[in-house]
Amino acid sequence: MLIVRPARLSDLDALERMARAAHPVLHSLPRDRGVLETRVALSEDSFRADVDFPGEEFYLFVLEETRTQALLGTSSIVASAGYSEPFYAFRNDALIHASRELKVSRKIHALTMSHELTGKSRLTGFYVDPEVRETTHDDAAHLLSRARMMYVAANRKRFSEDVFSLMLGVTDAAGVSPFWEAVGRKFFGRDFEQVELESGGRSRTFIAEVMPSYPLYVPLLPAEAQRVLGEPDEGALLAYDIHLEEGFEPDRFVDIFDAGPVLTVAVERSSSVVANEIRVVRSAQGNAETALPYLIAAGGAHEFRCALADLPSARTQGAPLSDDVKQALGVADNASIRCVPLHQASGELQ
Amino acid sequence: MIVVRCVQPGDVEALVALAHETGPGLTTFKPDRDALTARVERARRTLAGEAAPFEAGYLFVMEDTATGDIAGVCGIEAEVGLEQPFYNYRVSTVVHASRDLGVWTKMSLLNISHDLTGYSEVCSLFLSPRYRTAGVGGLLSRSRFMFIAQFRERFPERLCAELRGHFDETGASPFWQAVGSHFYQIDFNAADYLSSHGKKSFLAELMPRYPVYLAMLPDDAQAAVGLTHRDTLPARKMLETEGLRYENHVDIFDAGPVLECHIADLRTVRESVLVKVRIGERLLPGEARSLVSNTSLDDFRCGAALGIPEDGAFLLTADEAAALRVNEGDKVRVLASQPHAQSRPALRNQK
Repeated sequence: MLIVRPARLSDLDALERMARAAHPVLHSLPRDRGVLETRVALSEDSFRADVDFPGEEFYLFVLEETRTQALLGTSSIVASAGYSEPFYAFRNDALIHASRELKVSRKIHALTMSHELTGKSRLTGFYVDPEVRETTHDDAAHLLSRARMMYVAANRKRFSEDVFSLMLGVTDAAGVSPFWEAVGRKFFGRDFEQVELESGGRSRTFIAEVMPSYPLYVPLLPAEAQRVLGEPDEGALLAYDIHLEEGFEPDRFVDIFDAGPVLTVAVERSSSVVANEIRVVRSAQGNAETALPYLIAAGGAHEFRCALADLPSARTQGAPLSDDVKQALGVADNASIRCVPLHQASGELQ
Repeated sequence: MIVVRCVQPGDVEALVALAHETGPGLTTFKPDRDALTARVERARRTLAGEAAPFEAGYLFVMEDTATGDIAGVCGIEAEVGLEQPFYNYRVSTVVHASRDLGVWTKMSLLNISHDLTGYSEVCSLFLSPRYRTAGVGGLLSRSRFMFIAQFRERFPERLCAELRGHFDETGASPFWQAVGSHFYQIDFNAADYLSSHGKKSFLAELMPRYPVYLAMLPDDAQAAVGLTHRDTLPARKMLETEGLRYENHVDIFDAGPVLECHIADLRTVRESVLVKVRIGERLLPGEARSLVSNTSLDDFRCGAALGIPEDGAFLLTADEAAALRVNEGDKVRVLASQPHAQSRPALRNQK
């Protein structure tokens, strides 16, 4: 079965393979083995540490097939985006240009480089093996993505009150981003992919040096660039939907390079908190009639495990789990586990 | 003789008629009797010393003294922007560079500016198509600099001239379409008309408050920045000969260039000389021509005549002297129209 657990240094080979397979490049999962090793070590330290407020911590998760012990995906959380450096995003502001005398009024949007997301916790580094995504009907992707918020919900002190996540913006088949062509290229004079590869993220000094210091008027941008503003790429639609299920919403922010949407959620109102049920583990005795898929997390801060399993919809029935699942989660009967329905009944969050 | 002179109250009807010759597009000079009457009255008060600095403005007409026909008009605003703000874009440069990434990018920004506040502005020039022959346009335009040279104390340190910007074959301004149309929400002519008639409050309400990166505009809009309307190119050339230069200020609507200079550097101010009038027959008329003006404030007249100053004097025919309203022995200001290599040292000696 598939579980999500913290990455270990012994995972380095598999992580390196995934880092190289990921496209576009994941800044939280560097391709250079030495740098990657440092990241994994930081993650191990972060999980181990007793943390009272978000800081430099970085939490790296892997998706493991317990039967084969093969690693099939990875995801991560940056406790404090940018940490000691600014985290850059474009804030999309509305400006009213109105004249009483001329009887005209128009809302004009302008993109301003903002540091407002700095210090907020950020979900990032999402990569799932394309094959496993196929065979599990996206369950693996749901599990891997949302396991992060299961961890956040169980360890609130370690994270900010709001969490955000950058979705990949629209690029065409050749990897060309219309927004980059209209904006970034004018400043960098380079291809989007090249800069993504060289830049290493959204908190680097060069952004202050190279990106626009004045707001950009949206109506003055080419139509293609306006069209992709805040739109996720087709390849990011699944990730986008998964975030919406968790309660994330598009905000006023977009990525500075490809204008992909920034999704945010107040942890307090996320599904992993709102729909959380603490259930007691017991042995499974046949399949319950009304079973529903649940995200199940165990292990607390240091030995976190998360898996998908069917549970009876009635909370009173506890968590009847098969031995497989119990073993994978490292729990025994009578242990308390956190359970969140994988899918929300529509309207339940409102 | 064709002379340029200060406008008189009796010229209003002729100005209205002249304005009918402009056709569409020139929003600053319309056949509006009330507006023209007010403009003429403002010029009168300016000459009489009754105008406050913010409203001081001169207006000149070109008259064919043989027929009394009014053939052209031009003006000078003494100090712009003292009441309604005088808006331009300043095209400034920003460099975005990162040594780490090996990036170095030079970009242009359009910043709303009031840099030209307090400058004099030469403006409102229109010459009837019936009179567009060699030298007449130059006389009309340059006569203003003769006036400034003569009454230097009435003007500030610097001067500017706004030129019409680039319009495409369809008569549209690519710059307006790419920038202004999004903000002002009215059409170009309406915006231009309001602005040139002192109704500028909508500008502050509607204009882009942040600088605009030029590189993000469509190519044709970028190319239009600082580009002169082809019909205005002769005027630009004339002003550049006079010493005005494009210094990275452009119009906020069509991005046409603003030319600027220090008044002390104007060719006419530097090179014109005061000499005595001699009246007589021109026995050996050469090819050299000069601009000649009298030194009267309220009856200022300027015309072109053959010859250059010699021995501290300038020879006028009796007709020319009458047209310029000068007598034998009066002072006149003279500028040799074409910079003339041989005549220049002589001019200097006479200063």
